[in-house]
Amino acid sequence: MKNVIVYVEHRRGETRKVTFEMATEARTLADALGGQAHAVIVGPGATTLAEQVKTYPLNGVYVNDDPDLDTYLLDPAVDYVEAAARAIGPSLILIPNTLSGRDLAGRLAARLGAGIGADVTEFKIENGTVACVSPKMGGALITTCAIKPAEYGIATVRPNAFAAAAGGAGATMQTLEKPSGKPYAAVIEEDVEEGSGELALEEAPVVVAGGRGLGGPEPFDTLLKPLAHALGGAVGASRAAADAGWVPYSLQIGQTGKTVTPNLYIAVGISGAIQHKVGMRSSGAIVAINKDAAAAIAEFSDLLVVGDAFKIVPELTRLVEAAKA
Amino acid sequence: MKIVVTVKLVPDPNAEKRIDSATKRLVRSGVETVLNPYDEYALEAALQLKERAGGDTSVVVFSMAPEALKETLRKALAMGADEAVFLSDAGLEGSDVWATAYAMSQALKKIGFDLLIVGGLTDDGSTGAVPGALAEHLGVPCITNARKAEIADGTLRVERETDSGYQTVRGPLPALLTTALTFGEPRYASLKGIMGAKKKTIAPLTLADIGLDLAVGSDGAKMQLEAFAPPPARGKGRTVEAADGAAGAQAIFDFLKEKKLV
Ligand SMILES: Cc1cc2nc3c(=O)[nH]c(=O)nc-3n(C[C@H](O)[C@H](O)[C@H](O)COP(=O)(O)OP(=O)(O)OC[C@H]3O[C@@H](n4cnc5c(N)ncnc54)[C@H](O)[C@@H]3O)c2cc1C
Ligand SMILES: Nc1ncnc2c1ncn2[C@@H]1O[C@H](COP(=O)(O)O)[C@@H](O)[C@H]1O
Repeated sequence: MKNVIVYVEHRRGETRKVTFEMATEARTLADALGGQAHAVIVGPGATTLAEQVKTYPLNGVYVNDDPDLDTYLLDPAVDYVEAAARAIGPSLILIPNTLSGRDLAGRLAARLGAGIGADVTEFKIENGTVACVSPKMGGALITTCAIKPAEYGIATVRPNAFAAAAGGAGATMQTLEKPSGKPYAAVIEEDVEEGSGELALEEAPVVVAGGRGLGGPEPFDTLLKPLAHALGGAVGASRAAADAGWVPYSLQIGQTGKTVTPNLYIAVGISGAIQHKVGMRSSGAIVAINKDAAAAIAEFSDLLVVGDAFKIVPELTRLVEAAKA
Repeated sequence: MKIVVTVKLVPDPNAEKRIDSATKRLVRSGVETVLNPYDEYALEAALQLKERAGGDTSVVVFSMAPEALKETLRKALAMGADEAVFLSDAGLEGSDVWATAYAMSQALKKIGFDLLIVGGLTDDGSTGAVPGALAEHLGVPCITNARKAEIADGTLRVERETDSGYQTVRGPLPALLTTALTFGEPRYASLKGIMGAKKKTIAPLTLADIGLDLAVGSDGAKMQLEAFAPPPARGKGRTVEAADGAAGAQAIFDFLKEKKLV
């Protein structure tokens, strides 16, 4: 395992910050392993996106604008990455720890006989061996797992865990030949995007999350969104709020929702149940606004303000906006 | 139609996990073993599909775990699964994603299925990579994170959640499906279900029964645990009683300034 391959997840050429975090880390890893760092971008928009990815310190970018990636569920992506891995040779493959990233990682692991480091927040390299540091059990445990010597290894990388820094000697771009033979099994009939244009929760530097204390769907728009926008962040929610139908499940944070690690997490009307805590406990600073001084969230907040969210949040938004002006 | 559901047995996710500072091990005492939450949703999906299909559809739960955890599977039988298959063998200890998925796939080939429903993520391992690896080993389509599923004329039609919205996807059977939490809340076991579960079978399987070509357990695993530790401690912070909205907002704003967050 000498080289490093970054799988670029994107939607018609639009990608997320984790791509650049991985591209930056790939260089460090490849240098430590004495190999090269490459990226694989496939599907409509790949070539355009490659121009952006090339500004990161990679040796090569492999692309194919193959429209099949939008027509068949993941099957073509698995084939392409497998083909790239076999062409590039023994390598560590970095994949974002997202819904489809996990699917891809599992499928490649079976095809390449590779081990998986899941939800990796740090890599350690010693004598050519790669070890992956990952929080487990909702962050209650931090494990270090080494990938045993093998041709291929896979890591699903947690967004927001690594720094992104452009730069480096321009990577070469080349077309990745379409792998032939295998029929694709699952056809995408319809693909709908919801809540587009909003910052992705997993990579927002600030998350303002609301819970049952908000009492309905409107305050998420009228109260939380203005504060989140003023702070340059995104809106999230507890499961109680998602279950009530006030926000889509894609905003849910916690054990059965997303894991977020912003610099600042503001919990508004959220009691701080263990299942919520595990999705946000690794945030930088945690601030809570709650009517109840005895709410569990007090135990793991840096600051709990006891009071009515409906009165506090608009004032806070005003203060933040005034400070920016 | 035969629907098989994979269920992992995990320490109760609702219990606060901590590491014993002396032994450096996870404190398990007083922590009950339960069905992995995502797998309860997978089972609920299977039971719903069975109810809709009618006829001679059966739901089989499959788990791979240490022998001592076997009886935990009764809960799945009490919820309505027809039977269970339990793969347990000392040779499986130390299996990672790759070895787990490989051993499971060989057992599942033996059990046979038209539809295999797998949970999306385990609460303890949290790799979410087992479903994809299983599908590859079994050579079946892999459709993940379903919130709705329908079977007609050997075709599986699924509405699945994505990171940014949803998709409608179709594929042939046999197939592997994983379920999102929006598929439906897992049902409670009725008293009748609990009584009935005592009479249902949990068929045992060992490695000798499934015959593997490749090594599993710690020998076959591609990953090796080197260390584990608790996360950096996070102390209890300040509590401020806000006299009114402005005072509360000011307290937060001052904190943000102090931390250079505004
Ligand atoms: C298997 C399983 C998985 C789960 N997964 C998740 C998960 O991923 N994420 C998750 O969040 N939960 C999850 N839960 C649910 C979790 O146990 C809690 O029920 C949930 O987090 C509670 O949400 P909440 O804090 O919004 O609501 P509540 O617990 O009802 O808290 C509401 C809070 O709002 C405060 N409040 C009310 N009015 C105001 C006001 N005007 N101003 C300020 N404060 C106010 C109250 O004092 C209270 O503390 C899961 C549960 C189970 C069993
Ligand atoms: N030992 C096991 N026995 C049965 N099912 C399992 C086992 N390990 C994983 N699974 C299934 O695979 C899913 C994803 O697991 P993971 O990839 O470990 O997060 C779980 O929700 C289970 O349905």
